[in-house]
Amino acid sequence: MTERQVQLRLGVGAIAMALFLAAIAIPNWVSSPSNVGNIVLSPLFWPYVLAGFAGLTGLGLVIAGLREAAQDPAPETDDHAHGPAWRRLAGMAVFMLLTMYALPRLGMVLTTMLLFAATAFLVRTRHPVTAVICALLVPLVLYGFFAHVAGVAIPQGEVIRLP
Amino acid sequence: MSFLDSLAAGLSLVGNIEAFLALFIGVVIGVIGGAIPGMSATMAVALTLPFTFAMQPITGILLLLGVYKGGIFGGSIPAILIKTPGTPASSATILDGYPLAERGEAGRALGMALWASCTADVISNLALILFAGWLASFALSFGPPEFFTLILFSLTIIAGVSGDSLLRGALSALLGLLLATIGLDLVYGTNRFTFGDPNMMGGLNFIAVLIGLFAIPEILAMVWHPTAHVGKTRSLGKNWVSFADYRRSFKSIVRGSFIGVFLGSIPGIGAAPSAFLSYSEARRTSKNRENFGKGEIEGVAASEAGNNGVAGATLIPLLALGVPGDVITAIIIGAFMIHGLQPGPMMFILNVDIIYGLFIGLIVSSLFLFMVGSVAIRGFKYVADLPRRILIPAVLVLCIYGVFAVNNNIFDVGVMFAMGWVGFVMMRYRVPPAPFLIAFILGPLLEDNFRQAMLMSGSDPTILIRGPITWFFWAMTVVTIVAIVRAGVGAFRRGPGRGRAPEA
Amino acid sequence: MTLKTMGAVCALSLGLAGAAWAEYPERPINMVIPYGAGGATDISARTISEPLGKAVGKPLVMANVTGAGGATGSVAVQNAKEDGYTMLFARVGSHSVNPAMKATLPYTLEDFRFVTVYEINPFACVVSARSDITSMEALIEQAKGDGISFSSSGVGSGPHLAAAMVLNAFGVEDAANAATHIPQQGGGAAATAVLNGTADFLCTNSSALAGFVSNGQMRALMVTTADPVEGFDAPTSVDLGQPDLQQMVGWTGIAGPAGLPDEVAAKWGDWMQSAAADAEFVEKMESRGSIIRVMSPEEANDFIQGQYETFRKLVDDLGMRIEG
Repeated sequence: MTERQVQLRLGVGAIAMALFLAAIAIPNWVSSPSNVGNIVLSPLFWPYVLAGFAGLTGLGLVIAGLREAAQDPAPETDDHAHGPAWRRLAGMAVFMLLTMYALPRLGMVLTTMLLFAATAFLVRTRHPVTAVICALLVPLVLYGFFAHVAGVAIPQGEVIRLP
Repeated sequence: MSFLDSLAAGLSLVGNIEAFLALFIGVVIGVIGGAIPGMSATMAVALTLPFTFAMQPITGILLLLGVYKGGIFGGSIPAILIKTPGTPASSATILDGYPLAERGEAGRALGMALWASCTADVISNLALILFAGWLASFALSFGPPEFFTLILFSLTIIAGVSGDSLLRGALSALLGLLLATIGLDLVYGTNRFTFGDPNMMGGLNFIAVLIGLFAIPEILAMVWHPTAHVGKTRSLGKNWVSFADYRRSFKSIVRGSFIGVFLGSIPGIGAAPSAFLSYSEARRTSKNRENFGKGEIEGVAASEAGNNGVAGATLIPLLALGVPGDVITAIIIGAFMIHGLQPGPMMFILNVDIIYGLFIGLIVSSLFLFMVGSVAIRGFKYVADLPRRILIPAVLVLCIYGVFAVNNNIFDVGVMFAMGWVGFVMMRYRVPPAPFLIAFILGPLLEDNFRQAMLMSGSDPTILIRGPITWFFWAMTVVTIVAIVRAGVGAFRRGPGRGRAPEA
Repeated sequence: MTLKTMGAVCALSLGLAGAAWAEYPERPINMVIPYGAGGATDISARTISEPLGKAVGKPLVMANVTGAGGATGSVAVQNAKEDGYTMLFARVGSHSVNPAMKATLPYTLEDFRFVTVYEINPFACVVSARSDITSMEALIEQAKGDGISFSSSGVGSGPHLAAAMVLNAFGVEDAANAATHIPQQGGGAAATAVLNGTADFLCTNSSALAGFVSNGQMRALMVTTADPVEGFDAPTSVDLGQPDLQQMVGWTGIAGPAGLPDEVAAKWGDWMQSAAADAEFVEKMESRGSIIRVMSPEEANDFIQGQYETFRKLVDDLGMRIEG
């Protein structure tokens, strides 16, 4: 991405966000009582102000972007934006979703063990054995600390129940 | 009772092994607790509270104060080493601390953090001892209009931490302000962007947002490009902070300490904005301005001075008025009450021995902090030598435990993940995360105080210029904004380019 | 996965339910405190956890789940398994003021089964010591004349309702709107607002105010009990001819999800009786201005229902219900 692209995309994004907020999000998802005495006290006032500023910032970014020379090279080249990188990123997103699903069911210790191992292999660690050992130990040690030293009710699973 | 009598009474109270032992243990617990992300100084204090029930009042309170002080410093350790602030107050430390660690200078950054913290701690304690009464009465003259103007001024910090594009900084800040509106409305109690979910009604958990924004994007970046770090030196090396570093940053440390004392003595602001304000002031006045955000040791010094400067000063409203300045002092007030002590003006008359005992303990605590901190740095610094691709999953797991523990809520883990993706996209588009964070902290305060002021005056805006304090902050705000705009226009005239950020 | 399931708190993870109840409790019990550390509920909960833990025989794991005026933590227990291993420290704000005032609250009283109420806190109304107002009469006069403002720990919190209730009882017309309500973020900020002159008065539980009153920073105008409260040199609401205001008291109790089995509730009733007999516990609580009164599960339900209905009627009469 060149500097120009960054500015333009962000600017367009900000304008789109401002329009979305003003047209859909704020009217639908911010409720306001009917008997508000003064407009500045309304719960809607501040979100609308923010939406307005977001729109202005977006315009500013677009203008700044247009002033950039189109061929301006990016400060850091991005030759990693290829298929495997995207697939790894998607994989991480799936892991996170699975983690949220598994946390209340498998318990925090088992879930984080699996997540540790999965993440380590996703980033192709050079120390697979260490990774597996750490995946087993780190969650256990953290469980011991948080549950028994700090007295936090760490979620227990339906499969195993740690002391 | 004369000053010397009071001092003697205080000494006799703390002049025993248990009191100092408690203080020392407190500092140790604090540094460790602060160093565990999500655990945070707040939680460390809350967890220690039940143990103080059975102790002598002074011993128990010194234990908690030790935890507090240690925790605020301890937070800087993971902030520097793994880009995860252990405690919200240390988020400003990341800006320069993590780049230093990336360059293999973690030891230097940690050392500077410790020196700056201890210096600020001493200044803050002295301010408490010498000016408690005066600063407390000043704090009481801060009503909603004064707060509003102070926070408006504080928001101009954003210009100082925006990196190379002020517009992108502003965009980041607006995102933070918008996300901070989630939850129940203060004045009417109606829902804003909660979608009827009870977890959203309380607003997004601050620590979940914080860790999501700083730590998770690093993990995603590693997933995106697993070998980016190969070939970089990350080992801690032998380097240690030099006295020359300290002398060079001394002015920023002192300035940061005073900013901390000032903001700490006003209830309701807390340490994180103070650290950012100190950082942005240091950047504004430094000769090495260009280097800030890329690994400038003075930046670490300023942030740590800003947050530790708050630690002693938050005791000013607590002791002099009985008013807690932040969450941590709210817990400490609980400890006072459990022992039948009522902090407030009368305490300086009825329990003057305890007050002086605390003062003596506080002064000693800076020394203990230095000792414990030095040992902790030596212990923790090996984190920097771990293989990156083992460290990163471990950080992820640690963040999950920590964020859950803050509020015992799995939802917060989801918030952290979601914010991680937001942070990653921001990173890809070179949008700086620091303005987001500042706005997320200050936005609700700005809105609430504005509306409270409007309620007070029956929607008459003149209340916002009701006294000298408001005039002062309006003037500061206008001056700063003019400076930003002039620099911005100048940069615009010089033509395109991603040149320097306008100076605040 | 919906946000709802994500929100299911740790507590959900409890194991095989429905086993032999005779053995309850066979593992540690999670106790959710829906307010932050260091607050009135937290201190009360942690004080009773000591004798209670002994009575139960298994550890009690205390978990602060804060947010939305106690709603986040309450919902966590509402959705928990009904096996008695997840219990809630319910409070006046989360379980009688909030349900009475907030139409959008994600739970109702029917979603919980109370096993006890063990602590009552009188409410007191205070002004800053620098204020010209020296009595309730003067306060009411000013409310009817120039107008008056009060602070609270948030919309739909105990102090919010208490102020409206007091003004209404003393004959101020349209009490919900006659005075300016300046909500604050939390109880500490509410007291500060009175100290620094942002608001004129505040009615909240006496333990939160005792320090300020004894330090001479605030002046108490009234307490809402029949008997005078120690440390508060102020008339009671009965003295002032308003006995109905006695309904306005704070309390702390313990509740489980609605389907809590009878055996479990009965066990809690027994445990509470023995825990509250602990002399040290009683002394600690009373020194903080609380009145220890352990109610059986049935009494507790009646007490809370009664208070809720009083509040609900007041809220409807004054048009204070928060919709949307």
